Amino acid sequence: MADKPSDLVQGTLDMLILKTLALEPMHGYGIAVRLEQMSKGVFRLNAGSLFVAFQRLQRAGLIRSEWKATENSRRAKYYVLTDQGRKRLNSETREWGRQVAAIARILEAS
Amino acid sequence: MSLLRSIAGGLRSLFRKEHVSKELEEELNGFLEMAAEEKRKQGMSRQDARRAVRLERGNVEVAKGIVQVAGWESFIETCWQDLRFALRTLLKSPSFTAIAVLTLALGIGANTAVFTVVNAVLLRPMPFPESDRLFLVSLAPRGGPFEWQPGISDRDYLSFRDQDQAFEKVASFTKGTTANLTGAGDPLQIPVAYVTTEFFPTLRTNPETGRGFLAGEDEPGRDDVVVLGNEIWKEQFGSDAGILGKTIRLDGADRTVIGVMPPGFAFPGVKAWLPLAVRVDEHNSFTRPVVGRLKPGISPQQAEAALEAFTEHRPHGPGESKSERMPQIIPLKDLFVANIRPSLLVFTGAVSLVLLIACVNVANLFLVRAAGRREEMAVRSALGADRWRLVRQLLTESIVLSSAGGVAGLFMAFWGVPALLALAPPGRVPRTELIRIDHWVLGFNFGISTITGVLFGLAPAFGVLRRDAHDLLSQAGRSVTGGQERLRGALAISEIALALMLLSGAGLMLKSFLRLRSVNPGFVAQNVMTATMDLPDSAYRTAGQMHAFHTRTLAELSHLPGAAVVGAVNLLPLGEALTMGDFQVEGGLRPPGFLVDKPCVSPDYFRAMGIRLLRGREFTERDNKTGPGVVIVSQSVAQTLWPDEDPVGKRISMEDHPKPGDWLTVVGVVDDLKQQALAKSSDPAIYQPYLQVSYPFFLSHMTFVVRTTMPSESVASGMRAILRDVDKDQPISIASMDNLLATTIAEPQFEARLLAAFALIALTLTIVGVYGVLSYSVAQRTQEIGLRMALGAQRVDVLQMLLRKALVVTSAGIVIGEAGSLAFARALANFLFEVKPSDPVTFAAVALLLASSALAACYIPARRATGVDPMVALRYE
Repeated sequence: MADKPSDLVQGTLDMLILKTLALEPMHGYGIAVRLEQMSKGVFRLNAGSLFVAFQRLQRAGLIRSEWKATENSRRAKYYVLTDQGRKRLNSETREWGRQVAAIARILEAS
Repeated sequence: MSLLRSIAGGLRSLFRKEHVSKELEEELNGFLEMAAEEKRKQGMSRQDARRAVRLERGNVEVAKGIVQVAGWESFIETCWQDLRFALRTLLKSPSFTAIAVLTLALGIGANTAVFTVVNAVLLRPMPFPESDRLFLVSLAPRGGPFEWQPGISDRDYLSFRDQDQAFEKVASFTKGTTANLTGAGDPLQIPVAYVTTEFFPTLRTNPETGRGFLAGEDEPGRDDVVVLGNEIWKEQFGSDAGILGKTIRLDGADRTVIGVMPPGFAFPGVKAWLPLAVRVDEHNSFTRPVVGRLKPGISPQQAEAALEAFTEHRPHGPGESKSERMPQIIPLKDLFVANIRPSLLVFTGAVSLVLLIACVNVANLFLVRAAGRREEMAVRSALGADRWRLVRQLLTESIVLSSAGGVAGLFMAFWGVPALLALAPPGRVPRTELIRIDHWVLGFNFGISTITGVLFGLAPAFGVLRRDAHDLLSQAGRSVTGGQERLRGALAISEIALALMLLSGAGLMLKSFLRLRSVNPGFVAQNVMTATMDLPDSAYRTAGQMHAFHTRTLAELSHLPGAAVVGAVNLLPLGEALTMGDFQVEGGLRPPGFLVDKPCVSPDYFRAMGIRLLRGREFTERDNKTGPGVVIVSQSVAQTLWPDEDPVGKRISMEDHPKPGDWLTVVGVVDDLKQQALAKSSDPAIYQPYLQVSYPFFLSHMTFVVRTTMPSESVASGMRAILRDVDKDQPISIASMDNLLATTIAEPQFEARLLAAFALIALTLTIVGVYGVLSYSVAQRTQEIGLRMALGAQRVDVLQMLLRKALVVTSAGIVIGEAGSLAFARALANFLFEVKPSDPVTFAAVALLLASSALAACYIPARRATGVDPMVALRYE
């Protein structure tokens, strides 16, 4: 349903990308597919917003990239989580959990 | 860290644009192909898969665009694009660009030039360590001619120095003293300062080589020492490395050089420093400036409070009350700049007005141009440029223009500042050694260029902001836009108002200067040559020796070809010095506070100077030491002391407690004259024959005046030769009285001229601006005018209609401008001589000048409009 990152909560896309990369280095399409699978098709990402996020994360030093061959022996840019990125993911996950819990409490109270 | 990486990433995209773009493209292609492959695996045809992917994920070019715009570097890139585009468009209309740049260069250049001077003179700190802690301590007498000279009398200085708690150190020094340097080339008069031994430590500046004064070196017998300035050490002593310990001759006395100051140290504007002993003298008390370095943690306000407390309790001199002194703690810089600050601030105000007018002018030009470019804006807007982007484009253009104007202005300042200083009366602008184009000036220039660009760029930009693309396109074909017309009218009005302010200011200054020039000084300056000499007390110890020198010189000068009458006076009228003193009146009371000037003159002085004798007789050769004591009084003295009696035969005395032999008989009355300045009132004076004066102090400085029968300058060389012949060791300064008179009014003349120049620039810019607005509005109304004429309107009707509009604009500008002019004139009040800041004649004349110039500027386009052929006009566009 949400195909634009602006429809996601601000900053959520960055966190999701970091989460995806926490398992293993991946190329852009792989990240997109993984996000769609994990969200059971809720998120469908177009190339523009995805690649802007890559550029942003890379400049923030949270991920880095290298060109490698895919399993289908195609050349693709793989993104790797940096140590800094891993730390950020942990702190963001905690923060997210707290916020969700807090919002849930408010919604249940009414 | 991440900021650095972001900058690095951005720079990479900027400078390796091709590479980065290719890489992104490859990555995006891969992404989309992988997506398409997936679809094909699900059984789609190759083509269907591609189309589906493009729908779902977007295409390569769009995605690339989104990614590229997201980084900060894309902002730089669009700026760069805007810049190139701006340059191209500006170069396409060279005459517009040239006029705009020239106008701005005038405005920015004038401001930069004035700022260069203001920066050096008023803003730069004094070149001493922690100079912001240095202050002048002043107890100057309230009222009278010495009020504006910060200083403390010797008596007060000694007790202040002993009691003071606020200052680390204080030092007293002389300002404006000179000494004759002999034995190093031609005799040379150099500025020197006598300073107390704490002087250099207070300023925290030590000699570069050698040492400063030691405590006790001010005592007689030990005080034959001198510290040289770097400049004179280089120029007169050829940077002699072994100068320390050598002796030089100053005022005929030998002095041992003990130190040479570092380059650039000349405080207070001198070339050598001599030790000064401050002692209390029963009869005379000198008043000298005093500098102090505040203790840490003590504010100038605290120090001033302490000084006030000191003033309350200080021992008073005879007949003095405590309210006669003004306790003041003044920043040290004010010693030099206090006098020039007001005029520099006026100039700053004037040039900012010029810049504002230049801005308004260029804004007008821009508006006219923007109207012509409406179509271009509409098309660009329709093609997807958002409004902010168009505004940015316009602002870029205006900033490019103003920067070009700024650079040209910087060059103008570079050439203009020396010209400005050359026009200023010599010695008038202090701290000129600091005047240069430094980073402050560059920063100022850059700052005002940018602000100017934004200011005049905003006007057309608002025009774009107000309308959306649809409006822009639908209006592109038509030319009538009420809003812009109103805005242009408002700009023209403000321009006239600003110009009126400057013109009225200049008008007042000019009128004041003319008034000043026509003041009767009380003497006749034409065809008078003067030669001034200072006799050092080392070579001329007694009054008798000095008398001999003066008598011989007067005799020699009277034989000079071309010399009609020869006289001498110790303090020339309108010179730099003035003695004010009291006296006793026989059988009467001197009005309290009535002080007189006491010149010593030779018998023929009054005739030589052309001072009118009103009663009695002049001095003669017989009024000498052996003759009875005589004086001549000026008219105001006679009127004050003996209003209804004949002053001739009355007696006065210069002694406080006159003995029978001290009485001097009045033998004549002469006209009053201006001793201090043309702008000041005449000073009452009591003249004595120089041969009857026995204090060397009143005789050592003497000016010989020669009334000539031929152009006075041609006598100068003869005078020099004679004085050389009488004593070859003393420096002489020769000048015609005309020149000396001109020097005293050189300053108001300079101020009036400069302000008039700025006003003239303003007037020119305004006329050009008003002409531009009117002729454009006429061009816009060609169709309407044609229609009116086709319907039967006469040429006169059309002319009237157009001129009426001009008249409305001009009168609105003048009405608004009058208010501003009054405010500006009030700031000028202190500069005006016998002219009120609200002088109605000046204001009316200036308004008339401006109105007639503006109407003349409008007449040309209006005339052109009436010559329009209705048929042509109707087909226009």
